[in-house]
Amino acid sequence: MLVRFWGTRGSLPVAQRAEAIQAKIVRALLAAEGRRFPDEAAAAAFAEGTLDFATYGAYGGATSCVEIEGGDGAFLVCDLGSGLREFGLDAARRCAAGHPAVYHLFLSHMHWDHIMGFPFFGPAFDPGATIVIHSGHADAEEALRRQQDEISFPVPFDWLKATFEFIVHPVAEPFEAAGVTVTLIQQHHSHDSYGFHFARGGRSVIYSTDSEHKLDNMESEAAFEAFFADADLVICDTMYSLGDTVSLKQDWGHSSNIVAVDLCHAAGAKRLALFHHEPTYSDADIQRMHAETVRYEELVRAAPPVLEVICAYDGLEVAI
Amino acid sequence: MDWELRRSGGRLVGQPRGRVDDTTWEAFAEHLTDGVRQAAAADLPLVIDLSGLDYMSSRGLRALTMAKREAGDAVRITLAAPNDRMREILAISRYDKLFEVAADVDAALAGDGRPEA
Repeated sequence: MLVRFWGTRGSLPVAQRAEAIQAKIVRALLAAEGRRFPDEAAAAAFAEGTLDFATYGAYGGATSCVEIEGGDGAFLVCDLGSGLREFGLDAARRCAAGHPAVYHLFLSHMHWDHIMGFPFFGPAFDPGATIVIHSGHADAEEALRRQQDEISFPVPFDWLKATFEFIVHPVAEPFEAAGVTVTLIQQHHSHDSYGFHFARGGRSVIYSTDSEHKLDNMESEAAFEAFFADADLVICDTMYSLGDTVSLKQDWGHSSNIVAVDLCHAAGAKRLALFHHEPTYSDADIQRMHAETVRYEELVRAAPPVLEVICAYDGLEVAI
Repeated sequence: MDWELRRSGGRLVGQPRGRVDDTTWEAFAEHLTDGVRQAAAADLPLVIDLSGLDYMSSRGLRALTMAKREAGDAVRITLAAPNDRMREILAISRYDKLFEVAADVDAALAGDGRPEA
């Protein structure tokens, strides 16, 4: 399996402003200390080997969209955030090269940042495409149709050319999608959200975003530990600090980096991907949060093995 | 995890020892609640002496929040004497912004705890 992140930002898409780019350039120039490079390749090699991610890279600003490659000839995609547009363009390129135009889309919930990419999803206009939308919500279709209504968008849902199917799944009842076994868990979020467990060939990936683990219901976390059990990768909502989730941002429906680490430790998961980044965070803020999370994992690790903590960014690919 | 509650210098001092993790957080939460109620009944502030604590996971931290809610305005809670590991955990979780943290119990007893910058 291969996990490809097309959108990793929470709540609202963000774009780098000029000041942020300029600050990166300034830091890079300072790091170069007057060096001269014979060509761009040499400069790129220096930058990649020397500069931190927040300077040489960027976490990106598209909202939730994660592709899981490894199904039997179909695309598998979690959430339809603004990252879906880029995925759709890339999928069209792959379909032109022979990939079947069959899409299984898994919807955690229908808040705007998780569906806003759908009106710009090119394959929806392809009469040869089949799009299956899997959800735990009975009103998923209504949410997507409403988003296309004229008051919000000029192209009504019924003008889309692909063949659509909406399937509502109960929790804890595994089903097959393109040869991958998928199971849902209900999560605490406004109007509910659902996490997905994808398994195939002894490998598993968890997609658990927009999931608040409530202070007064910690007993319920045993269900998540079981859901995450022995996972090869857990993609987890880590939007806020724990302090924020129990104070100002309590009941905002999100989790923290350190609760994610604790759940993964208890579950024996192998890798945690920090996800659904706070839109006000700069690249430096996200990089700091990542470093702090790696350190927290080290501080509370009771015994090996190490839980590898990675930080999702738009464009990241993770082989499972 | 062991727990001891003692009266010292006009305050109640609760001292957990060991670690607060998945297996011990519920006992820790119960001790904290009891400590808060005793402090409220005696009209005393409560100091949580962290010096004997190896570390605390998120569940222990959240138990501290529940204790703070139980305390309301009636009981002032100060965390004291975190080891280096606990100090890092308090910083990473931003709990050092939510609780007064004193360098040691004496400082807490003197009312010298404050949210750390």
